[in-house]
Amino acid sequence: MIFDLIQNTFDGLAMGASYALLAVGFTLIFGVLRRVNLSYGPSIMFGAYCATWVHLNFQAGLLALALVTIAGAALAGAYVERLCFAPHTQGSAIAAMVASFALWMQFEEVVTLVMPKHLYDFPPMFEGEPLAFGPLGMRVEALVMLACALAICFALHRLLYRSRFGLAVRAVIDAPVAAQLAGINVPRILGLVFLLASSIGGLAGWLIVSTHTQITPMLGMWSTLKGLLAMMIGGLGSLPGAVIGGLALGILEAHGQWFLGPQARDLIVYLLLFVLLAWRPRWMTTQSAS
Amino acid sequence: MSALLEIRDLVTAYGKIEALKGVSLEVQQGSITCLLGPNGAGKTTLMMTIAGILRPRSGSIRFAGNQFAGHPPHAIVAGGAALVPENRLVFPNMTVLDNLQAGAYQRRDGEVDVDIEKLFQRFPRLKERSNQNAGTLSGGEQQMLAVARALMSRPKLLLMDEPSLGLAPLVVEEIFRIIAQLHQDGVSIFLVEQNAHMALKVAQHFYLMEQGRVSFSGTPGALAEDEVIRRAYLGSAKV
Repeated sequence: MIFDLIQNTFDGLAMGASYALLAVGFTLIFGVLRRVNLSYGPSIMFGAYCATWVHLNFQAGLLALALVTIAGAALAGAYVERLCFAPHTQGSAIAAMVASFALWMQFEEVVTLVMPKHLYDFPPMFEGEPLAFGPLGMRVEALVMLACALAICFALHRLLYRSRFGLAVRAVIDAPVAAQLAGINVPRILGLVFLLASSIGGLAGWLIVSTHTQITPMLGMWSTLKGLLAMMIGGLGSLPGAVIGGLALGILEAHGQWFLGPQARDLIVYLLLFVLLAWRPRWMTTQSAS
Repeated sequence: MSALLEIRDLVTAYGKIEALKGVSLEVQQGSITCLLGPNGAGKTTLMMTIAGILRPRSGSIRFAGNQFAGHPPHAIVAGGAALVPENRLVFPNMTVLDNLQAGAYQRRDGEVDVDIEKLFQRFPRLKERSNQNAGTLSGGEQQMLAVARALMSRPKLLLMDEPSLGLAPLVVEEIFRIIAQLHQDGVSIFLVEQNAHMALKVAQHFYLMEQGRVSFSGTPGALAEDEVIRRAYLGSAKV
């Protein structure tokens, strides 16, 4: 029993680490734009399909596939930003969100046109037995996920608090008009944040598909949902909150699946979200990114 | 003296409603020029148009020989004009120091820290609070921070939109002392004010604005102060 608890917590933590990365990307975009990019997950899915295509047509190593996923997601993110968000900086949040939904459909259509099978194999990150620590098993993928999440969070924190670009990003998040008056080229910063966030999402996408070793077009909706859930649990717009929300989501899912079965897994998550939204604790209503 | 800022026939509209209906005015190099007028006259619209936040429909804004009209805000800052906006608009969740660094965002020279130290001498209270978030400062301190942030870009022209708004009388006096000091140090200032009494004491030239048009231009003393105040608050309609 106690070992189950520890094992589930660890497995959940690892999955949660990739949710945390998804949520961090989401939160960056939400932070600078104050609007939801529904196409965030589908951009990641597009990147992962690019990598799958490369894998099927060329001999490519693990690192190359990871880079293709990240580059594909970043490219798709830039496309979404140009089409949906750059023209609407003066308002019309709904128009931007609906436009991002249209691009979501576009990404799904493109990948199913080029690669029509429902499911493709994706090369695993690691082949071999999990590491054993007495009764506990530890998948190497899980360790990689945790390490990547930690490294990205650390690097992002350095970037935001130790660089000129980070200063500009924080200024745009805090007070966009004041940022313009301080001489910051806000549209440029928004474009760069989109690239950065989509790249982080792409990394998370690669970690996830190379752990599951298969990919379907549903990855898009799945990523948007998980990222959105983790972001909301952690309090909209807070980066540390996104990390905590992602980890909490992963752990909750792991325990839910173990004790109540796979059907109850998502049910529990939505129940938690419902309770949090109805109760709205303090951390969920403070909207700062610092 | 020559005109540092020269505005001709400027029209800015929100949809179909013209807030500026052809404004023309000048700010001389090295002067304090003041713009007075009742609420809704278009003073803030004018400042936001000069700063590039709003796009004018027509007209020209010449600054130090360059055309400013329709340029984005970061290009205006690069050109040498910085706005201290109405209601201060500091970065509330960033430290005082970060606020100042953000003000120097476009500068690539190595003297940013020197300038911050100089500003801390001018505004000792900002130094005491340098690691505090700007949102925790009092209204007067936030106003000083907004002025300091604008100065960090080393502007040739400081645009100030109602710096005394909502501040206690003693703090207002302090703000105007700072304005006079900045002027002595050679900064040109274009000041929008509701506080006509204080503004006329520091300005070399003033304009009255009513309903989107400049209705009077002159030196302080060209019009009796009570007349200026009456028109600045009520407009020129006969009472």
